[in-house]
Amino acid sequence: MKNRWIIGLGILSLFLLATLSAFAQLPGGIPREETLIAAQLTGRVGTPSNFNEWSGWRWQDRGTQQLVHEPLWTVDYASGEIIPGLAAEMPIYNEDFTQMTIKLRQGISWNDGVPFTADDVIFTIELNARTPGLLYHGPMAEFVKGVSKVDDYTVVVELKKPNSRFHTDFLDRWGCLRIMPKHVFEKVEDPVTFEFNPPVGCGPYKLADYDPAGFWTLWERRSDWEKSPTGMLYGEPKPKYVLVQVFETEEAKIIAQLRHELDATDYTIEALRAVLDRGETVRAWSREWPWVEYLHPCITGIVFNNMVAPYNLREVRWALLLAIDIVEYMSIANDLIGAVSPIHLPWVRTYMEPLFSPMEEWLKEFTIDLGDGEVFRPYDPEVPFRLAQAAKKRGYPVPEDPAKIRELFGMGWWKYAPEVAEKLLVKNGFKRGADGRWLLPDGTLWKINILTFVNPSHPPYRNAMALAEVWRKFGIDCTTTSSEAAESMHLLGQFEVGTSWPAREPWGVSMDLYRTFSLWHSRLLTPVGQPVVAGSGASARWSNPELDAIVEKMELLNPFVDVEELRQLNIEALKIVAQEMPTIPTFTYPSALAWDEYYWTNWPGAENPYSQPYHHWPNFKYMLPRLQSRK
Amino acid sequence: MRFVRDYLIPRVLQYLLVIFCGITAVFFIPRLAGQNPILEVIAQIQSQGASLDPTAVKSLMETLQELYGLKGSLFEQYLTTWRRILTLDFGPSFFQFPTPVSQLLRIYLPWTIGLFVTSTFLSWFLGNVVGVVAGYFSEKSWSKILDAIVMVIRPVPHYILGVVLLILFAYVWQFFPAGGLMLGRRTVFNLQFILTILRYSFLPALTLTILGGVAWFQQMKLLVQSVKREDFVQYACVGGIKEKTIVTRYVLRNAMLPQVTQLALALGQVFSGVLIVEMVFSYPGMGLLLYRAVTRGDYNLVMGITVLSIITIATAVLILDLLYPLLDPRIRHR
Repeated sequence: MKNRWIIGLGILSLFLLATLSAFAQLPGGIPREETLIAAQLTGRVGTPSNFNEWSGWRWQDRGTQQLVHEPLWTVDYASGEIIPGLAAEMPIYNEDFTQMTIKLRQGISWNDGVPFTADDVIFTIELNARTPGLLYHGPMAEFVKGVSKVDDYTVVVELKKPNSRFHTDFLDRWGCLRIMPKHVFEKVEDPVTFEFNPPVGCGPYKLADYDPAGFWTLWERRSDWEKSPTGMLYGEPKPKYVLVQVFETEEAKIIAQLRHELDATDYTIEALRAVLDRGETVRAWSREWPWVEYLHPCITGIVFNNMVAPYNLREVRWALLLAIDIVEYMSIANDLIGAVSPIHLPWVRTYMEPLFSPMEEWLKEFTIDLGDGEVFRPYDPEVPFRLAQAAKKRGYPVPEDPAKIRELFGMGWWKYAPEVAEKLLVKNGFKRGADGRWLLPDGTLWKINILTFVNPSHPPYRNAMALAEVWRKFGIDCTTTSSEAAESMHLLGQFEVGTSWPAREPWGVSMDLYRTFSLWHSRLLTPVGQPVVAGSGASARWSNPELDAIVEKMELLNPFVDVEELRQLNIEALKIVAQEMPTIPTFTYPSALAWDEYYWTNWPGAENPYSQPYHHWPNFKYMLPRLQSRK
Repeated sequence: MRFVRDYLIPRVLQYLLVIFCGITAVFFIPRLAGQNPILEVIAQIQSQGASLDPTAVKSLMETLQELYGLKGSLFEQYLTTWRRILTLDFGPSFFQFPTPVSQLLRIYLPWTIGLFVTSTFLSWFLGNVVGVVAGYFSEKSWSKILDAIVMVIRPVPHYILGVVLLILFAYVWQFFPAGGLMLGRRTVFNLQFILTILRYSFLPALTLTILGGVAWFQQMKLLVQSVKREDFVQYACVGGIKEKTIVTRYVLRNAMLPQVTQLALALGQVFSGVLIVEMVFSYPGMGLLLYRAVTRGDYNLVMGITVLSIITIATAVLILDLLYPLLDPRIRHR
């Protein structure tokens, strides 16, 4: 009798749990073998019913940017080229960059069947120019004098002032001004509050369903996919459905992938090892050690606040750099995985020959003045080989081929020269205390608090931990602060040394590094306490008149035509930044991607990198036609 | 009349003061914490290297300041906040703009209530029942073994137990999903729906019930052991009163009082959710919502959640204070 009572109570409790929980139904009827499941990078969607990303942050990697939207142009860093989507070719500028002509691809239709024409492009630019609540209102209002069409597939934008990079506002690299469907938005009273649900785009998929709590979004292939630029360029996307799902922890992703419930995701390096150990059908970007992707055009490292003493002194920054033993640093930061870079550019294929090679010649000859006529050559081309040796000692299968070693570990880095660092510091009035720790010129203990982010798997955090360790060894009283407010504090200049990004990510295509260097132009310099508007790299609050001049010269060059001139200017700019070292580049972003080959194969891995490999980048739609189904 | 003057009015005044101070603290603390909600949104937009040039960022900052209602002095914003609270309008969430805070609460609260209230009641009930029996018969060997098991489980963090259950029941034996509620947006109440909810909620509920239950068990066991040694219980034993009556009417009734208070306070925490369990099982609830609001400097959302929390806990305490004289004759007598 008693048992029955307990069982009854248990059932009642479970029923209560069920009835109190939520109110919805399974999407149902979705065949797994026709569905590709990808993890969402940015976490749970906070605005699940809102797809209007022109007016704010809408978690665009829920599938809207990868599957629904088709921009005019997209960056593909794997090939180093720009892919024209809605555009038929690259933009055409007039002589003085006051006019940009866009030729559009013909035969495209929106996913509701309405044809795409020049009117949509004109509408988008005009609406953004006159609506302050839209994200791209600033540049459109500042630059656009007028926009008109020559015919249904040719648009001419007249600019108020010269701008040789106006097209970059439409160049998709995880976000840009994407073209709006005129027939939808022209009926809307307020384009800022409009939810744009269901989203109408020229991409090959349309919305099928979504979770009101923001944990997943389901997309279905358009029946007329051949009228999307993706279909025209690459053919039919293979998965009929794509489910973009949120997994809050690494453990959840691992379990889901081992159960074949997750096809594409990125991990921490540790989680990647775990999933590769257990999953027979799971593969990383590279099938061999070190597994991680080496294409991502992003450099990580250390940022000095150049408006705060003593980090405003070039020789102090150099001393701090030479106090870093990069082999020990990489051992702590990333277990020796990742390629180092001595310059403010990621070690990726696009830049190796045209930029890194000429820079290396210069780096070998580059000297720093230690005073009294003494100079020092800080560049060390042997670093990749020392890193390889250390990795070998840890038991990793490191290749013997020097070319392969350089590919994996980088071109070289700076020498570990604590005695030179000491000379530079002494020259600037620093001295060691009785306990061997460094004192500032005023005699007080030199304390460095390194500001970083809270995610322990993220490169900024790993840079901070390694940095604190090596600087402590050098005798500096060094601590770290991991803060949720790290981003705001970097932008506001409320730090001395931080590990935000040391330079703005380049496009990863072509020779145009204007995007990287322009952020250090003195016109964007902001005092401490006011936020920098230029993003990563700019929080160093540094500028240089020679670099200003180079940036201004770049503005007068056509990035599609004046390629060689731009390459020369890039090299000059890289030299200036290396000499001044306002930030310290350390290693290129190593991405731990994993794909399950249980349902889908032919992923763009190291042996066949036909596309940028991320499932959360806009180019994902270009990858889907080239996948192959196994079921 | 003396009850109203000496007992009711001071407690009601204390109640209002707690709410006022709580809301004032919640207004100022996030603003002093360092996060700038506008910079956080812009950083998110640019986080993967999106093309947003300085002109766009500049104009966006001005627009967002206007839209978020962050123009004006701190005192003006403080007054606006009170106006909003008194009309139960917490404004829009900054990071999830333009979604109103009230809408977010409507979406997430039922999930948390479902999981948290159910598992709290279950763990409270099971922990106390087993705790009473184990406490009363604390000399028996089965009670000692149970105590040892509970002592091992008690310090296990929610995260570890959640992951262990996930590995056991979602990977080794694949009885339950690995997480993430795969539910659509249509509201249909049928058997399949109930079973789906049960499957997805079972492991998070089990984690909370186990760890909550062992805590209630230990508290109750100690209380019972202490009450058992009281003179009136010894006297009842000597007087030949039946053991069942001693357990239920002498021991249990006295040991229950602090547990009832604890339950009321525990239920008040529903608004802050069960963050770690929500994360491990990708469960939609208030914990994650509040965590994201705090980390992104989403002042309005932090305010919305914490105001509800403050009012609920303060009200629960007030009601308990007012009900205690009914439950406990000693207080009634004073």
